[in-house]
Amino acid sequence: MAIWLHVNIRSGVPIYVQLVEQIQHALEVGTLSPGDSLPSVRELASELSIAPNTIVKAYNELQRMGLIESRAGKGTTVLGEAQQALRERQQDALLERLRGVVHDASQLGVSAEVLRTHFESAVGEFFPETQWQGDKQ
Amino acid sequence: MNDYVAEMQQRSTGPSMSSSDIAIAIDHLTVSYGTSQVLNNLSLEVPTGSIFGFLGANGAGKTTTIKILLGFRRPTSGSARVLGYDVVSHHQEICQRVGYVSETNSLYDFLNIPQLCRLSRDLYRQWKQERVDHYIRLFALPLQKPIKQFSKGMKAQLALCLALGNDPDLLILDEPTTELDPVARQMFLSTLVKDVAAEGKTIFFSSHILSEVEAIADRVAVLHQGRIVLSEELDTLRDRQKMLCLIYEEQPPAEEITVLGRLPGVRALEREGRAVRLRVEGNTDTLIETIQARPYTLRDLQVVAVRLDELLLEYMKGENA
Repeated sequence: MAIWLHVNIRSGVPIYVQLVEQIQHALEVGTLSPGDSLPSVRELASELSIAPNTIVKAYNELQRMGLIESRAGKGTTVLGEAQQALRERQQDALLERLRGVVHDASQLGVSAEVLRTHFESAVGEFFPETQWQGDKQ
Repeated sequence: MNDYVAEMQQRSTGPSMSSSDIAIAIDHLTVSYGTSQVLNNLSLEVPTGSIFGFLGANGAGKTTTIKILLGFRRPTSGSARVLGYDVVSHHQEICQRVGYVSETNSLYDFLNIPQLCRLSRDLYRQWKQERVDHYIRLFALPLQKPIKQFSKGMKAQLALCLALGNDPDLLILDEPTTELDPVARQMFLSTLVKDVAAEGKTIFFSSHILSEVEAIADRVAVLHQGRIVLSEELDTLRDRQKMLCLIYEEQPPAEEITVLGRLPGVRALEREGRAVRLRVEGNTDTLIETIQARPYTLRDLQVVAVRLDELLLEYMKGENA
């Protein structure tokens, strides 16, 4: 299972960050599911030819994010709540992006009025139940 | 106060509990040969389980440091502990638990491999011949030839095979791959990672080959003229500095270049016509906002990684000290 993980020592991205991002991505797309076990530090160090401490650091970070857990004798597994934890992170990131869009719009001279109208119409499109009676065609 | 107590406990002889996560602890070490000071008040910690690259130009003091760690030389002042043992009072114990591969590989060169193994078996308490045989096969070393007919690279490989024979908790290597060709070097390094580090053992290796340090180490220290100028996790270094590449619509005036060079976080600046490259430390976002708010229009702005070997080279030259 370690095969889909790979690191690029020259990319300028810390190696442990590369591992965290790839495992996170694997959870998002379903390559990894709750209950799946991750390779041991030793296996992964050997497979990727990178220092074991770097893998420990990546696993610690994933554990801190609430995505995996390591137990003595049981190895490292994906937590049941991983997808929920990931979803919450994605939602936070998205709301942050929304702020960014509003900021950019204000800089580009889009009026609050226009922005609200577009926002409402987009909400109406994806949340049909919130539409007012009078809007329905 | 507690720190002081802990320090005093560290100084007592024999391994202490608190030192189990530190494989090598060097404390204010100074070494002088006659009137010249080779190591100057050097302090360094190597965590257990790390792959620690010890970098420095020739003559920076790498080999002297290693000789101190193995008890071959005595400190002029300061102290060092290896696997919890004081290097002066417990050097016998250290030799039994540490594997050492030296730059010069002073093996008994009139012997062949089986003869040398028999000798080593008598010298070490926990000699594992099967392990040694495994590595000798891996490197395809000839069994019957006397060692004096070996190439320098083969001697380095043999030294590693023998160093692994007493199943050491710590492997100290002094420029182990200098004499190896690229193929042999790759095999040597991957053996270190897969068979030694992956088992939780600590590797401390001196080198001036930046690419190999970049490839396998998780921590690095740089020695420059007898002083430590950098001791850091490589992943932290990878993230520390970025290069901002700016392309302006028109060549910016000299005053603007001066302003850019003085912006907070800018460590270095290069310019070439309409292009300006800034070496930046810390948060790039605020800096980019500042630059975009300047009155000179940018055609392009890119953030790229700084090459780790370039950064380390600067430290080795003493430029970041």
